Amino acid sequence: MSKRAITQGARALPARWLSATAAALCLAAWAQGAAAQSAAAQAASPVHYVLDQAKSTLEFTFMQAGAQNKGKFTRFPVSFDFAPGNLAGSRLEVTVEIGSLDTGDKERDDTLRSADLFAVAKFPQAHFAASQFVSTASGFEALGKLTIRGVTRDARVPFTFRTADEHGVAAGYMSGKTSLRRLDFGVGQGDWKATDQVGNEVGVSFALRLTAAAR
Amino acid sequence: MRNTTHRWGALAQLLHWTIVVLIIVQFTLAALAEDLPPLKKLGMLARHKSVGITILALAILRLAWRWANPTPALPETLKPYQRVLAHISHALMYVLLFAMPLSGWMMSSARGFPVSWFGFFQLPDLVPKNRALYEALLTTHGTLALVLGVFVSLHAGAALAHHFLFKDDVLRRMLPFTTTTQGSER
Repeated sequence: MSKRAITQGARALPARWLSATAAALCLAAWAQGAAAQSAAAQAASPVHYVLDQAKSTLEFTFMQAGAQNKGKFTRFPVSFDFAPGNLAGSRLEVTVEIGSLDTGDKERDDTLRSADLFAVAKFPQAHFAASQFVSTASGFEALGKLTIRGVTRDARVPFTFRTADEHGVAAGYMSGKTSLRRLDFGVGQGDWKATDQVGNEVGVSFALRLTAAAR
Repeated sequence: MRNTTHRWGALAQLLHWTIVVLIIVQFTLAALAEDLPPLKKLGMLARHKSVGITILALAILRLAWRWANPTPALPETLKPYQRVLAHISHALMYVLLFAMPLSGWMMSSARGFPVSWFGFFQLPDLVPKNRALYEALLTTHGTLALVLGVFVSLHAGAALAHHFLFKDDVLRRMLPFTTTTQGSER
């Protein structure tokens, strides 16, 4: 059909054309509203995730007598409310059971739990709470407060996050690494303040499997 | 510098006496570490491991130098059974120069504590982490140390006996700044 024919047709049926246009506009407006509404709904409620402990790791590395050594924590409940599109409504809470530390050496683990180091009896848990998130080139960053051995400091933890639908289970994979200085948190009293045999810098890396859960 | 058929050269002497000093250091550090609290023990044993790796390197050098040089002959006056004993104990001490550091290194690996050489570089693990293996190697390392102590004592005693009782060149030819009756150092 030519342009002219359309014009003629429109001219021939002005009322119908107008009402059709109006209807289309209404529909568009409704659709837009609905979309905005669903976006708002999504923004309002990030997905609530909890940790799949069995498939998650939280490891640390440290220099001991000039050589790099490794350890891990085996219990560290996580509560993560997250939506990449709604960082403002996202929240992260990690509680690390310090007693669960494992460097593969019982003597060393006992020493780490003792009063001069983690003082587990007095400070059984470390805690990270973040409610501020920013997007970065490689993922996200959580800005929050890290408490270890009763000392709270600002911490910035970069991480990547991806979701996966695993047979109907909404899973989230979060991983990243950062580093901290143990003496900032008083992990090392007395002789342990020396850093020649046990370094101050501690590398921390995590790879978490999270699953969506009811709040 | 090089050995002759009747005298150890400067490098062989230097290696011999350096290792003697380091072995004494090793026994001292190990004994001192025994009753220290964890951190100080860690530091003491780190030094012990670094010195041990140094001895291992020197032992390799020493054996290579021995192969590349003539070996001074044992005194003519030795009886055949004494020759055999001398050879056996010398060979055993060479073996121990390797077995001591290697068993210590393996023991550290089995314990899961990697070895560093004075903090300059980290050595690879020789065996995977294994508690039972660590316990076995700990015993081995200690037993070998005892054997080494016994043979070093016999060796030193024999050297002194050669010098003061038999009045031959056996000790003198391993000492710097001395002349041997069979010829001077070249």
